[in-house]
Amino acid sequence: MNLLRKSAVREFLRIVIAVSAALILGFVITLLVSKQPLEAYRAFLLGPLSRFNRFGDWIEESITLTLVGLAVALVFKSKQFSLGAEGQILLGALVSGSIALFVPLPGYLRVPLGLLAAMGVGFLWGYLPGYLKAHLNANEIVSTLMLNTIALKIYDYFLIFHIKPPNAGYNASETFTKDGILPSFVPALPFLADIRARFMSQTNISIMLYLAIIAFLVAYYLMYRTPFGYELRMIGANIKFAHYGGINVKRTIILAFAVSGIFAGLAGAHLAMGIHTKLIQNISLGIGFEGIVVALMARNNPLFVPLSALAYGYLRAGADIMERSSDVSREMVLVIQALIILLVTAERVLPVIQQRVAARRNPQPAPSLAEGGE
Amino acid sequence: MAALVEMDQIVKIYPNGVVANDGVTFSVERGEIHALVGENGAGKTTLMKILYGEERPTAGVIRVNGKPVHFHSPHDAIRAGIGMVHQNFMQVPSLTVAENVVLGKEPTRQGLLDRKAAIRITEELSRQYGLKVDPEATIDSVNVGMRQRVEILKILYRGAEILILDEPTAVLTPQETTELFKSIRALVKQGKTVIFITHKLREVKEISDRVTVMRGGRVMGTLPTSEATREGLARMMVGRDVFLEVSKPPRERGPKVLEVRDLTYVSETGRYVLRGLSFNVYAGEILGVAGVEGNGQTELVEVLTGLRPATGGEAKVMGVPILNRPPRAVRLAGVAHIPEDRLTNGLALEATINENLIVDRYFRPPFRRGMFIVNQVVRHHGQKLIETFDIRTPSGDVTVASLSGGNMQKVILAREFSSQPQLLIAAQPTRGVDVGATEFIRQQLVEQRNRGTAVLLVSADLAEVMSLSDRLVVMYEGQITGVFPDASKATEEDIGYYMLGIKRQSPEEMEAYL
Amino acid sequence: MWELVLRGIFSALFVASVLRISTPLILPALGGLISELSGATNIALEGIMLVAAFTGVVISAYTQSVWLGVIAGMLSGVLVAGILAYFHLYLKADLILAGIALNIMATGGTIFLLYVLTGDKGSSSTLASKAVPVVNIPIIKDIPVLGTILSGHNIFTYLAFILTWLVSVFLYRTPQGVHLRAVGENPEAAASLGIDVRRVRLGALLLSGVLASLGGLNLSMAYLTLFQREMTAGRGFIALAAVFLGGRTPWGTLIAAVLFGFFDALSNQLGSLAIPSQWVQMIPYVATVLALVVYSLRQRAQAIERTRRFQEKHLAETHATGD
Repeated sequence: MNLLRKSAVREFLRIVIAVSAALILGFVITLLVSKQPLEAYRAFLLGPLSRFNRFGDWIEESITLTLVGLAVALVFKSKQFSLGAEGQILLGALVSGSIALFVPLPGYLRVPLGLLAAMGVGFLWGYLPGYLKAHLNANEIVSTLMLNTIALKIYDYFLIFHIKPPNAGYNASETFTKDGILPSFVPALPFLADIRARFMSQTNISIMLYLAIIAFLVAYYLMYRTPFGYELRMIGANIKFAHYGGINVKRTIILAFAVSGIFAGLAGAHLAMGIHTKLIQNISLGIGFEGIVVALMARNNPLFVPLSALAYGYLRAGADIMERSSDVSREMVLVIQALIILLVTAERVLPVIQQRVAARRNPQPAPSLAEGGE
Repeated sequence: MAALVEMDQIVKIYPNGVVANDGVTFSVERGEIHALVGENGAGKTTLMKILYGEERPTAGVIRVNGKPVHFHSPHDAIRAGIGMVHQNFMQVPSLTVAENVVLGKEPTRQGLLDRKAAIRITEELSRQYGLKVDPEATIDSVNVGMRQRVEILKILYRGAEILILDEPTAVLTPQETTELFKSIRALVKQGKTVIFITHKLREVKEISDRVTVMRGGRVMGTLPTSEATREGLARMMVGRDVFLEVSKPPRERGPKVLEVRDLTYVSETGRYVLRGLSFNVYAGEILGVAGVEGNGQTELVEVLTGLRPATGGEAKVMGVPILNRPPRAVRLAGVAHIPEDRLTNGLALEATINENLIVDRYFRPPFRRGMFIVNQVVRHHGQKLIETFDIRTPSGDVTVASLSGGNMQKVILAREFSSQPQLLIAAQPTRGVDVGATEFIRQQLVEQRNRGTAVLLVSADLAEVMSLSDRLVVMYEGQITGVFPDASKATEEDIGYYMLGIKRQSPEEMEAYL
Repeated sequence: MWELVLRGIFSALFVASVLRISTPLILPALGGLISELSGATNIALEGIMLVAAFTGVVISAYTQSVWLGVIAGMLSGVLVAGILAYFHLYLKADLILAGIALNIMATGGTIFLLYVLTGDKGSSSTLASKAVPVVNIPIIKDIPVLGTILSGHNIFTYLAFILTWLVSVFLYRTPQGVHLRAVGENPEAAASLGIDVRRVRLGALLLSGVLASLGGLNLSMAYLTLFQREMTAGRGFIALAAVFLGGRTPWGTLIAAVLFGFFDALSNQLGSLAIPSQWVQMIPYVATVLALVVYSLRQRAQAIERTRRFQEKHLAETHATGD
């Protein structure tokens, strides 16, 4: 138990160091380009809490990021490099948005139908590259990148030729009616009416907040408490061992891709039915790739994904505010994000520091076989 | 006159304390074919790796042409005219034969690779030494025999005068072996010197001028092949190890558990590895499979456990067919498997001990209840096995990677022994294990037998198979060549003859005991 | 209606436009091919292109020299590739994740700097950047159809074809190229023959940086002489797909890249009709997925065939010798 804690603490330290280093570098950049660097950085670091609507933006963004992060974490845990979340998000948004627009059902049926359909299409769009990988050994990086673009073209086609009102000036659907929009996370109860009104006027935080929490729990239990999660983790740890032990490797790999797609599809539904409340072009804007950062900071452990998503969503929201209130543009956060990935993945950067610290604290030599396990 | 190569009092002790060479003195004369024989683990390959600069000796002197040399890497050895052909070929599949021969030392013209020169060089070498190759074919389109000739050409191109061939015939068909021997003779005729590692005595007699026998890290003797008999060599190789003390109560054998009929396996490269094996294993007995490694034992185990497809024949566990079934189905039929290559197959190093202990049972109650795996049960199960098998660890929640080698082994044993199998297949169960753990493992195997499990024990350690087994079969070139219905009555010498293909029983003789 | 389309396709102008559109795919694809063959999938082609496109515009605007711009652009692209190589080869970062990081950094960094330099986040239209020259081939330019197709492109288009040839010579005819392929296929074997695997991969990634940079510069210093945010629009990924679609050979990659260009140009043509361009644009991506499938099916069939052949041969031999 002691050892476990120590390694978990180490992992955590590693991430914290990486994030801090990236933030410091970000500040150095701000110093170089800004006339009022302190103000800019303050806006960046504190902005999301400064106003109610900004707080709302942060939470909304974090919900999407949580879902995408869970999707990525699930499939990465099996050491399959599926980059297909982007396409699954797009199709999830398309399908749920279409249902929101065109299916004449009352809201309490239409919204769940939209969510389920988004999850279903995400599942299918994950199943495909999973099958190609498991049975045909087709490089999943290439196949998922291709499927992302194919999904984008499908999305654009339906949006432009079937969904967009003929007289609309730009490529977007009509705003969904109330029956197609995710309800506010504050229940419509008399004594909550004031709060509900306040949230609804300034934010789009919807019941997806609860669904994201459920999704997080489901993902965690799925990965650490179910046979499927066990199979997935063993395949990630040593695929030969999994095969030898009797795990159906092919089936599990396919399912890892597909189940990951369910979460990404749900994220797509959140974009369409929760945040934008209509279908627009470029609705996902690379958020599938940002999910990789979220999963990476969480070390592919669902338990830490919401935290990681909140931290990352905070950075993004802060960057938006910084841009609006200073002379530094929001893209600086992308640079910081990239630095975080580089520092977290570069095994040789942080372990060296950590090992030195650890060695000073604990002069006992580490068991030499631990090295062989890498 | 000094010998071409002299290795004087070579000692090699690995960091983990294993003594691979214990004061070995070995010399090779110019222009001879020198066979180096011994069982696996006798230290032949280590000795040759030292000569080739891949390993540094702990003590001892190497002299080439009478001058002491110190090799820091194979490059130094190559410069001194020593080349080695490993068992696994170092080739680039999509390049042509000629390109592979000259790789890393290409002839160029105006900065460009001179393909014609490469082909010419290859053809000339090929003709000179009678190593037939097709210079313009790509490696992935040629057979294993040619690939081996390419490997030899590669070291000849680099100017090797002394060629070390590490078990070159292990991957070859009989026809290819004949070809190889012709080439080796051609090489020697032109002044090259060949060191030939093998454990097949027939080949020693056929090809070599002198033979050196190694056992347990020491040289047992060097003699001209003309004076050696296969029986004599076998005696030197196998020796008389102290019998292991294993108390094994007599036991009536129970019903038939494993039935194997006419099992054949042809490898992807076309080697006929298993040639119609038939045998049974009964409840409450240990059937030992003795044999020099590379005679099909590894493949037999992998075919029986679902890790490799069989080419033909059938195998049943308690009447349930297990050939060409996925590993899960084989395990569900009641088979447990201690794999030979334990760190690659038997464990997930980055997973915890508890997780490693349930890979064959997580999907069943009590580990699984409804949709979930019950962590408490998993932890409890782990704790119990850690205690029973004395795995030294602070807890079951640490990764296997943090354990010592011996404790890693115990994790596998704990899992496989505790699965209450009908049939336990143990492949080289004590390899790389220290003395204490070895003793423990052997006791556990006997205990399984006493409990009524059918045990199939495959081991290259003859003393081990003999002392543990009730019945014993010997595998040679993919066939069972001898059966000993009472392992305790067999002598090592006799079994050694069967292992080395000197003796074989007729099918009729064996039938009654299989 | 179809007649119009067909006439459009078979016009010299259309062929010329295919060449023009393909150029910024061919160049990075060649880069992707080189690093792929060395065993390092370069997913950062997109980012390298973007950085090079940006740097080229900025430097050419400030120095008023096209060539300084081009050189600076190439250097910046090589720098990005170098960072990728350093993190992957020396700091043991995962190649794919590091590549994704650099793409994100390139997107963010170029917009960020664009804003710092021009106050505009959309494009560099306020900067007076330069364009590389257009080549009018004497004699050929006056031949009716051929002249339209072959002449009047910018130098990058010609460079793309010349470089395909050069890359092919490099990979198959030079010792360095052969070493590179050996490292990609069997690094252990290469190392055993004294080839420094890490150095070869470093070289391959840097080379892929040079080639991808040219692709980026072609976007911002040729037909368009300005930088737009995210102007590579996924071309780096298409280039990577072209490597696989082209069977990991230089000419195959070229053909695949031109195919992507063709469908892109075609979708522009069809845009004027009521045929949805999305379906046409989708074709090469679907083709790439299918190519992956066909490739692995073929590999498997070959393996099975080989095994069967060997096994039959053996059984025959066995019977012959009466074993």
